[in-house]
Amino acid sequence: MLARSCVRPMRAFASARNGAVQITKRAASSSSGSTAESPLRLNIAAAAATAVAAGSVGWYYHLYGNSHAMTPAEEGLHPTKYPWVHNQWFKTFDHQALRRGFQVYREVCASCHSLSRVPYRSLVGTILTVDEAKALAEENEYDTEPNDQGEIEKRPGKLSDYLPSPYPNDEAARFANNGALPPDLSLMVKARHGGCDYIFNLLTGYPDEPPAGAQVGAGLNFNPYFPGTGIAMARVLYDGLVEYEDETPATTSQMAKDVTEFLNWAAEPEMDDRKRMGMKVLAITSVLFAMSVWVKRYKWAWLKSRKIVYDPPKEGKTNIRR
Amino acid sequence: MGFWDTITDLVEAATPWSVAEAEAPAHETTEETTAETTQEDTKTKAEAAAAEEEPAAEEAAEEEDEEEEEEEEEEEELQDPKDVFEEECRNSKECAPAKHHFDECVERVTAAQSEEGGAKEDCVEEFFHLAHCATACAAPKLWSVLK
Repeated sequence: MLARSCVRPMRAFASARNGAVQITKRAASSSSGSTAESPLRLNIAAAAATAVAAGSVGWYYHLYGNSHAMTPAEEGLHPTKYPWVHNQWFKTFDHQALRRGFQVYREVCASCHSLSRVPYRSLVGTILTVDEAKALAEENEYDTEPNDQGEIEKRPGKLSDYLPSPYPNDEAARFANNGALPPDLSLMVKARHGGCDYIFNLLTGYPDEPPAGAQVGAGLNFNPYFPGTGIAMARVLYDGLVEYEDETPATTSQMAKDVTEFLNWAAEPEMDDRKRMGMKVLAITSVLFAMSVWVKRYKWAWLKSRKIVYDPPKEGKTNIRR
Repeated sequence: MGFWDTITDLVEAATPWSVAEAEAPAHETTEETTAETTQEDTKTKAEAAAAEEEPAAEEAAEEEDEEEEEEEEEEEELQDPKDVFEEECRNSKECAPAKHHFDECVERVTAAQSEEGGAKEDCVEEFFHLAHCATACAAPKLWSVLK
């Protein structure tokens, strides 16, 4: 590459010199002296383009020179990788952690964030028992089908209902949160780069105070993991905020870990089954592959074990074509 | 749960006429709560007894007070292991360069802010490097502690 790039200008220079030589020859014949400016005229387009390029860059810096684009703050701090157990190939969710995480969601997150794609029935058997889920569903009211007069009444929730949202619509949510919309958390683990790591880091990453000189907008909080570092959500998880029923010490990181695992379950409720299905597929295909190897050996046995013999013609018999 | 229980459970689950239910842990909690309430009852009774007969029950009352104090202390002492580990990591040799840069930047910027011109830079990048180093160093330790 280097050699090629070195050669190219040499060649250009040589051709320019040849051109110059020819021009001088012709100039000598027609006797009009314009020998000195000819190399400049040949390179004038390149020179002008270079000048324009340099000038435009200079002009840009003159106009916008003080701006900071593509700063690390704009990108946000990349989430630190944590060794999540449930992300390993042959591991399932820790359902005790899911239960704790659901408790954290219900007591902390649910006041602003909806979880609209999760019905009560999906909680049964994974997080709650049937009776607990039914009792939880009955705490909320849902619309019935229109009755004979066409009026829509309210009824207590059933297992087939979805978890209630804190706000009736996005506009109400924005209005209640100074214009910031708390996103729905149903698929949040899948919806963000870094997944579980991002959410855990975001929840636990609020520093006590922003670093010196950092600009934090009005109504925003500094969080290094949020792109732009200004996040409308304030730190919500504090030590001892939730009292776990299994007496796990409710530290900030413990709560964040549990709720992150719960949100991963909400986004991928099929994960345990999916991994088991993957295991089944691997087991069955490996058996089939082994069988196919043996069958192939059996079917090809006659071909592989055949013997090709060259029987040379015996001397004295002349009727064989040579 | 013994071996025979497992077999009977399996049989029950396999027979079509039986009803399969998710296990409800209601019994234990009720027992616990009743136990707690009874404990509280005994406590209150003991306290009442102590009030009546102060010199006799003084020691018992003191013990109870100590227990309560210990419980309160435990609640107060609840500290996030993440903060502890990250503080350790921040001061460790591994993160010394990042911490050095961050501290220097903070000093420079705070000095510039106190002057009239104001700071023309921030320490976000240095903070990022330090935070990245500290969290990455603390991650495995934290996961060994958390449930």
